[in-house]
Amino acid sequence: MTVLLPRKPSRREILRGTLGGMGASLALPFLDCFLDSKGKALAATGQPVPVRFGTWFWGLGFTTNAGIKDKAASGMGIEFLDQCKALKPFEKHINYFSGFNMPLDGRSNYVHITGWIATRTGTAPAGASDLAAPTLDLLIADQIAGGSRFHTIDLNACNQPRENYSARSANNRAAAEVSPLSLYARLFGPDFVDPNKADFKPDPAVMLRKSVLSFVGDPSKKFNDSLGAADKARLDEYFTSIRQIENQLALQLEKPRHNDACVVPPPLTGVPNESLEVESVHATHKMMAKLVAMAAACDQTKVFNMVYSDNQSHLRKPGESSYYHVLSHEEAPDPVLGYQPGSHWFGTRSMEALADFIEAFANVREGDGTLLDNTLIHATTECNYARTHTVDGVPLFFIGNAGGRLKTGMHIVGGGDVVTRVGLTALQTMGVPVDKWGTASLQTSKAIREIMV
Amino acid sequence: MRFRIPSFVAAVVALGLAGCGPSEPKIQASGPGVRLLTESQYRNIVADLFGPQIVVAGKFDPMLRTNGLAAVGAWNARITPNGMEQYEKMARAIGAQIVSPANRTAFVPCEPTSATEADDTCAKAFLERTGRMLLRHPMPADQLAGTVALAHEAATSFNSFYDGLGLGLASIMVSSPFLYVVDAVEPDPDHAGGVRLDSYAKASRLSFLLWNSAPDEALLIAAEKGELHSKSGLKRQVDRMLAAPQFETGLRAFFSDMLAFDNFENLEKDAIIYRAFSLAVANDAKEQALRTISNHLINEKGDYRDLFTTRNTFVSGALGKVYRIPVERPDGAWSRYEFAPDDPRAGLITQIAFAALYAHPGRSSPTMRGRAVRENLLCQKVPDPPGDVDFSLFNDPNSPNKTARQRLTAHATLAACAGCHRVTDPIGLALEKIDGAGQLRASENGEAIDTSGDLDGIKYADAVGLGKALHDNANTPSCVVRRLYAYGTGRDGVGDQKELMKFYEEKFAAAGYRVPDLLRAIAESDAFFAVTKSKSAATTAWGEPLSHSTPAQENKS
Amino acid sequence: MRSLLDPLRQLTGVALAAAAMLSLVGPAQSQTKPKAPGTLSFVITTWNYAILETRFHDECPEGFTIGVDEIWWRGLSKAARAKATQNGELGDSERFIMALQRGPNKENVCLNPTLVKDPPMFTVEGPTAYGMNLDGTTDGKATPKTCAHQKFTGVDGTPAVDNQVYRLLGCIYGWHKYDNIQSNANINRKTTGNGIVLVEVTGVDDTRNDDNVSVTFHHAIDQYALDGQGEFQPYASYRTDPTLKADGTRRYGGTVRGKIVNGELTTEPADLNLPFYGNYTYMDEFFRDFRIRMKIAEDGETAKGTAAGYYDVDQLVYYIGGLGVIMFPSQADCPAIYVAAHQLADGYPDPKTGECKSLSSAYNFEAVSAFTIHSPDPTLAQAKGPLDRVLTTFGIGK
Repeated sequence: MTVLLPRKPSRREILRGTLGGMGASLALPFLDCFLDSKGKALAATGQPVPVRFGTWFWGLGFTTNAGIKDKAASGMGIEFLDQCKALKPFEKHINYFSGFNMPLDGRSNYVHITGWIATRTGTAPAGASDLAAPTLDLLIADQIAGGSRFHTIDLNACNQPRENYSARSANNRAAAEVSPLSLYARLFGPDFVDPNKADFKPDPAVMLRKSVLSFVGDPSKKFNDSLGAADKARLDEYFTSIRQIENQLALQLEKPRHNDACVVPPPLTGVPNESLEVESVHATHKMMAKLVAMAAACDQTKVFNMVYSDNQSHLRKPGESSYYHVLSHEEAPDPVLGYQPGSHWFGTRSMEALADFIEAFANVREGDGTLLDNTLIHATTECNYARTHTVDGVPLFFIGNAGGRLKTGMHIVGGGDVVTRVGLTALQTMGVPVDKWGTASLQTSKAIREIMV
Repeated sequence: MRFRIPSFVAAVVALGLAGCGPSEPKIQASGPGVRLLTESQYRNIVADLFGPQIVVAGKFDPMLRTNGLAAVGAWNARITPNGMEQYEKMARAIGAQIVSPANRTAFVPCEPTSATEADDTCAKAFLERTGRMLLRHPMPADQLAGTVALAHEAATSFNSFYDGLGLGLASIMVSSPFLYVVDAVEPDPDHAGGVRLDSYAKASRLSFLLWNSAPDEALLIAAEKGELHSKSGLKRQVDRMLAAPQFETGLRAFFSDMLAFDNFENLEKDAIIYRAFSLAVANDAKEQALRTISNHLINEKGDYRDLFTTRNTFVSGALGKVYRIPVERPDGAWSRYEFAPDDPRAGLITQIAFAALYAHPGRSSPTMRGRAVRENLLCQKVPDPPGDVDFSLFNDPNSPNKTARQRLTAHATLAACAGCHRVTDPIGLALEKIDGAGQLRASENGEAIDTSGDLDGIKYADAVGLGKALHDNANTPSCVVRRLYAYGTGRDGVGDQKELMKFYEEKFAAAGYRVPDLLRAIAESDAFFAVTKSKSAATTAWGEPLSHSTPAQENKS
Repeated sequence: MRSLLDPLRQLTGVALAAAAMLSLVGPAQSQTKPKAPGTLSFVITTWNYAILETRFHDECPEGFTIGVDEIWWRGLSKAARAKATQNGELGDSERFIMALQRGPNKENVCLNPTLVKDPPMFTVEGPTAYGMNLDGTTDGKATPKTCAHQKFTGVDGTPAVDNQVYRLLGCIYGWHKYDNIQSNANINRKTTGNGIVLVEVTGVDDTRNDDNVSVTFHHAIDQYALDGQGEFQPYASYRTDPTLKADGTRRYGGTVRGKIVNGELTTEPADLNLPFYGNYTYMDEFFRDFRIRMKIAEDGETAKGTAAGYYDVDQLVYYIGGLGVIMFPSQADCPAIYVAAHQLADGYPDPKTGECKSLSSAYNFEAVSAFTIHSPDPTLAQAKGPLDRVLTTFGIGK
């Protein structure tokens, strides 16, 4: 088998702590994460079931007092209010986190930006386009993506390729996939190797493509010999990326494991317009959810990032001049309901979309359970209450049991603890060997043990 | 201003231009940089080299708009695995098109001994020649040898010389020297111990500034002969390049970047609210602005500042419906149009492109427009909105504010908001008679629209007056100077480069604010090629040279 | 909302295309346009025979007339029907073709309507119709220009309205709102851009009231401008068809005097030739005493109105005869229409026979605001010249 190397942090990164303040305890050998003793194995083959990680993003948080009912202390059971009622059927698969704070050490709250960056990188941005540490999905991908075709799959349902909340730095961010059709082609097009097809023959064209990449990706070739050390370091990313595509190709040259969970989806029909109109977004999202769930089941990717709506939520209804974000600021609260009804409607649609996403994973049978049992989906947003842009108490979810590594069905009350505890819990659950995460006041070494098995 | 010349300053010699005008100020040179090709550069290179019939189908990683330009972000941009996947696909598809039966005779300079077998001699001839153009310098021997070997292996495997050649070409197009434009340096013979850009790096710097594409054959030959190291040789090339048709492409690329026209790609307008708006309108609006700019600056040799007051433009049938004007050629062609002297529109910012791009899907946005003028046209930074505004203070359901001015006035009563809105709103409100799709309107929600305001003390009554105020604002020309300098060098024009900016500004003014003359001044200045030895200390944790710009703050609303 | 300055922005008379300056090379040549006298232009978007349909079709007391296929069917024995339809296996449209080919030598009776003698069709007997008083009489008695006929009362109460085309077609299912003869013709125009008519009103001092304006009808050579929802877009520009006849006069359109009263434009009668396209037939429609009455919306963006004039019997018969299988569900019978049309003709008698050769007619139309661009160059028209009968009945009969 071709050895699939994850991206190795450079010595410089480790010394400078630029992996987002990750503790540099690189103790666990690679691959342990998905061969880990806590993991499940398929009864039929004894093969370990890979555990997948994904993020799901929605913009503008919750309507205060209408999302999930506050709790005095952590415990089993989540009380879904009007905005979140679509999540109720999945309660036993969900952990909800409330009351976690985001100390910024005097840095500004860059509205709609600080919230998502701090929750996903553990570092508060110093400017509106600062992204000083990699997002946690990439740290997890570096750890577990080996053996899958794609390092990550990044999706945006709102036709905004730039709005991808997975990035290694501000200058290192992939364009998100916005079209279900091209997503389908990428995942299940000609380069897809069906694990359940009887015959397998490696494609010589793929071998040649791999040769090309091995050649140009050989850093010893020194094509850029005249560069200074600093600029050579910048090219590291190039070689890492080349390696990643070589790995994709290497997988196409190997017979995949037999995989009953993998059912190649039929070609798409009725693909909605690429638009910010909420019904189109909803339909696009649902289509993408099914595809990415199957991509995970078929070992195409172990890490995925879905943006249902961007960090200001430009979701809109046709014919209405005020879209979600504008409504969240300008709409007058209903005196009886106590909240902004138009804004609340969009928030409710967002949670319905999250339910769709969960359902897509719950609908894929894997072993004696479902794909959801072997997945951890971390749903995040950028603010608690859009009207005031508050970032303290930003609502967060874990969904799925991560292959039995997580207890679910709990409402965890942060009590003002730092929000990065949630991210650290995700990192450790997914086997990233870190004992602390985050920088400055956002640094923590306290994962949330209550939910970790 | 006085400034200290650091001891390690690069040897930038202050040679005045043959005794005319002030001499060029010295700056602290930056270390050699590496920039990733931008999407438009990639596309232009393919089109220039192989013709527009070659399809470049793929998605590029977004670049972080830095100091107002995506091109500056390129100096710090990395390639993600997703991005590399796209490069690999695009390169193969381009390679396959070049060696297809329809195209191969045009590009492959030799006949292989057999179409079904490898032919290293012919492959080498093609790859060496094409590689030099793609890489913008002669292909390094080891890369050439390796590429020929790849083509050989592939030809044998595919039983096709041409398919092998296509893969060889693809390998060049995924190699780092193609994707990254590298500042290669060599010892500077005029300054012992110092370095200078080698002549190929100078050629690339010139061609990406003036053409937004790779050097052509003539420029590579000039580089090969070392002509770009002499003032006269450099001038010859700059003259030639400014007169070449690629210059219009280059100028359009710069202004597309400066005006953030990449946002047209995902521009969305509500089809019910703005029935006249369509994809064709969006495409034509962008084209109209770029035609107006390139015609005014190149063909008319116009004053840059007049772009904000000119009534001359070009229109298409699609635009006519939004402007509500008669169009000579409704069938998709372009025709000239001049807005009447009493028309409420004059200048770039009253055109549909600006009005629609800086607006919401279903309504206008004085704040977005004001911010775009301040940041993109005047190079001023508008602070980000504060995080803790209580909007309920001005949301009185019993007396809704009908016009944007009323809403924003209420908004700006809060001290936290007032500061920023004071700098953006008077500009944006002047454009309020142009709705979110670029159509004229007299009222909003039945209430008359007041477009009066002031820009840095100059009062105006309407959008035409705002254009005049922009024309007369000192920041208008100085901003385009800074942006062009940054566009060509990746540097920000601040700190010790301020004097240099002043130097360029004076040249710009002396030339009647003609942009080609400004570009000539930049391209022929020592600072444009200035480089010092790279110092590993001068990098950030992620290897970013500190000498290049730091990201500007970005906000979508 | 009233658009700003629109009427004043329009261009008149001046040939603009002389400035077909597509190149960026050379200095600007555009000239500041002189303040034009007010001009309003509209592009006609829908155009229908004005058929009044009452709720219970009281205007057709004997019901709808029977069609060519039914006449054919009735004329066959049970055995002949079984044979003709291959024991019922033959499709409806194939049967319809057989019904058309009812001539003595299998000629198409729609293209040769005099070859058979069919039962007479039902025609309108109701008292009310859309239209105008074209002959100037109150009772429809014969005049030097007209033959004796029955009058209608206008839908809006106008006395002594003439509309013999309605009398002819009003009891045929095909011209009713449930069938597609009329809507199909409109869709054809919308999708092909053929047969588009412009109404250009010049000399307008006041867009709501002006007792002396000049109204020119043009044929447009550009496609309809449609928005993202497929609706007609206002304020699009249309170039005129500069095609000339052999005698050097314009093939289409013409100029008449008119007036605007409270936003309603009316024109004086004139003879003119307009293009027509619909149901895959392109033809010239020659009208005598043509006039329009058009109400312009307050915002100037849309207009709707009625046109009326005498319409040549042969032209109508030609159009209907060419409909072929398009007419298949329409229950129309060409030979019967031919006879009735000649019987109902009320205008412009043949000087020799005294038999009237034209039918009074009325049309309802809608329009949106547009810009008229005068094409100076007749060669432009060749790009999309009118084809006489582009496609006739899917190849049947010709």
